[in-house]
Amino acid sequence: MVHFTAEEKAAVVSLWAKVNVELVGGEVLGRLLVVYPWTQRFFDNFGNLSSESAIMGNPKVKAHGKKVLTSFGNAVKHMDDLKDTFAELSELHCDKMHVDPENFKLLGNMILIVLATHFSKEFTPQVQAAWQKLTAAVANALAHRYH
Amino acid sequence: MLSAQERAHVAQVWDLIAGHEAAFGAELLLRLFTVYPSTKIYFKHLGVCPDEAQLLTHGQRLLEAVGVAVQHTDHLRAALSPLADLHAQVLRVDPANFPLLIQCFHVMLASHLQGEFTVQMQAAWDKFLTEVAMVLTEKYQ
Repeated sequence: MVHFTAEEKAAVVSLWAKVNVELVGGEVLGRLLVVYPWTQRFFDNFGNLSSESAIMGNPKVKAHGKKVLTSFGNAVKHMDDLKDTFAELSELHCDKMHVDPENFKLLGNMILIVLATHFSKEFTPQVQAAWQKLTAAVANALAHRYH
Repeated sequence: MLSAQERAHVAQVWDLIAGHEAAFGAELLLRLFTVYPSTKIYFKHLGVCPDEAQLLTHGQRLLEAVGVAVQHTDHLRAALSPLADLHAQVLRVDPANFPLLIQCFHVMLASHLQGEFTVQMQAAWDKFLTEVAMVLTEKYQ
């Protein structure tokens, strides 16, 4: 189990309170699909992903990004209990969606970059470290039930 | 190989950094060491807790090298050959560490440029830094 210090939890929770989940979620997923185009393999039924502007403006990308980031909000609420919190989602990503767990790390990195664009100087090295620890732990939790 | 537009994006980002290599380099190293503490093993000469002066000196060296790469995106191998030798024979930084540095670079650029760090800029910079890392580790085996 990953242990988060009080400072790390505070850094995560205080920033999360200011996050526009719908906006940031769409940006995160959009950037993932543009910067790492092979990740588009999981979204064949999302319609037009033919260009950067098509991807960033795609309503299905935005909706799914919001869904993914909303789920991430659950991680923020259960930082001490991530494996159990994401057990069901882990099985789903393995059995139904067949997502390579490597993608969870890529998405995690993207979350940090988008948060940095929004929070600027507030996204200090310490805040970045706390969030990096969280996204890595969520990635592990999501991979935990793979078989 | 970078397209003309990608090269333009890389140059645009470099405009922000040029002249401030020390400050950006220091921030980059501070983020790297804070977020990925294992990377500090490659900088033992900077001590357990590198001070600002050390970060500025070493950061400047790092970013000046990136600046060389920016000026030679068409022939990275030739331009970075001495650095590639250094990394293969002396520094021997495990290749797994380069993506960590690249991630910190993106976060740093994002925090400074905010909305101006567009997805195209991020994609171009990622492609460029990944190519640089590839060239630097090419002589490893």
